[in-house]
Amino acid sequence: MTTALHAEQVWFSYPRHEPVLRNVSLSIPAGKHTVIMGPSGTGKTTLLRVMAGILTPSRGEIAVFGQPLIGRSRRELSSLSGYIPQQLGLVRNQSALDNVLMGALGRLGDAKTLLAIFPRAEIDAAHAALAMMGIDHKSNNQVFQLSGGERQRVAIARTLLQRPRIVIADEFASDLDLTLAYEILGRIRAAAETENITFIMSMHRLGLARKFGEEVLAMKDGAIGKGYIGSEYLETEPAEATA
Amino acid sequence: MPKFFLPLTVGLFLLATLAHLGLFDGERLARGFRNLRILGGEMVPPDMSILPTAGAALWETVEMSFAGTLLGFIASLPLSVLGTRRLFSDWLSSFARFIAAGIRTIPVLLWAIVFVILVGLGPLAGTFGIAAYTVGYLAKIYADLFEGADPEIIEAVQSTGASKLQLVRFVIIPETANAILAQVLFMLEYNIRASSVLGFVGAGGLGLVIQIYLQNLDYRRLATVLLLVLVIVLMMDGISAWLRKRFLLSTQGS
Repeated sequence: MTTALHAEQVWFSYPRHEPVLRNVSLSIPAGKHTVIMGPSGTGKTTLLRVMAGILTPSRGEIAVFGQPLIGRSRRELSSLSGYIPQQLGLVRNQSALDNVLMGALGRLGDAKTLLAIFPRAEIDAAHAALAMMGIDHKSNNQVFQLSGGERQRVAIARTLLQRPRIVIADEFASDLDLTLAYEILGRIRAAAETENITFIMSMHRLGLARKFGEEVLAMKDGAIGKGYIGSEYLETEPAEATA
Repeated sequence: MPKFFLPLTVGLFLLATLAHLGLFDGERLARGFRNLRILGGEMVPPDMSILPTAGAALWETVEMSFAGTLLGFIASLPLSVLGTRRLFSDWLSSFARFIAAGIRTIPVLLWAIVFVILVGLGPLAGTFGIAAYTVGYLAKIYADLFEGADPEIIEAVQSTGASKLQLVRFVIIPETANAILAQVLFMLEYNIRASSVLGFVGAGGLGLVIQIYLQNLDYRRLATVLLLVLVIVLMMDGISAWLRKRFLLSTQGS
């Protein structure tokens, strides 16, 4: 089986702080959506940012489909991995369509895009991505007019247009109610299959993790243990554990 | 440290400074108030016969402010982008900020004198003077504003492979559009008030008229001019309030 992302003995610490990631090694198989769980403050966000190439690890190696991340430019990385931060990182007073089109910036030159002129093919692809997430009817709405769930759909559509091989999303769908979260995650799985993308998400709700993850990694104190799910989740969210 | 320590210190410092500047000199204050009453008395009723002359000069002032603010605004954008530390190296952004600070150090009246020397007497010198000062001010405000743009959004769009220019175009400017507009409007208001004195140095506009009436102790005519400035400033307030409502409120919300 191909490995989508491989991390080898990754350490990370912010300047003048204790290490946040301690010797993390993991392999994420291609096509298997992976959920990383763990208590807050355990280093999930840092791990995701390191895996997305936003932070450079203090030590260790990371490769996406065999291509090492370290030393690559953002533009080169953009065809390998997409990143959705916890607050989604959408530009609030631009339309949903404009936000999705930003996914194509990595393969377009400055000259045309600065006048906000996008090739017809990209605009069609952006509408298609929005449609895949069930939100194309609101493509002209400004993001600040959209609900939380609608914004999540737009953020996914943006990474779909980027066409990376993996997408890393931080605490995705975690503030949505369960029914809505299931619907959106279902659409993501369908889109991921068509577009051949592997999703890596951090989550703290067991119900969502079970619904979406084909692999679940558990994190504790900056280290990872495969398949381990702490009992605190079962205690804090009993209703979802059976969902 | 007790909670009231800082406000107390600031308060004492203010009192000490004012005392040093002579605010608590009772005799001087009394004399000042007497003079103020005399000056006030000599200003009423305002002499409206000069309205055509003052009106033309005022219009020139307004033209200078608009053109100068717009020119300065356009020129400030590239400088402020360069001054954004998140986008460029410390060296380059410090250099851009240094230039902006240098421009800002020179008051608008001095800029007007410089441009009177360069392009000759008249409103063109005033326009350039206003533009120069505007660049220095807006470049700093905007660079600070751009640096404050939500880092999460920048990271998210950076990971799509967007270039720095694309980031500015698609994230930083849209995210800060409200404040960009608010600052230009503030600058325009400021420039209208500031440019009414540029005529002192021959840079066109209302300043020359004000200077002549002041020198001739013609306070009733001066009062008319000041009323005109007040009307224009109030109009500007109205226009910017309308623009704010039209463009800013619509983008409120998380």
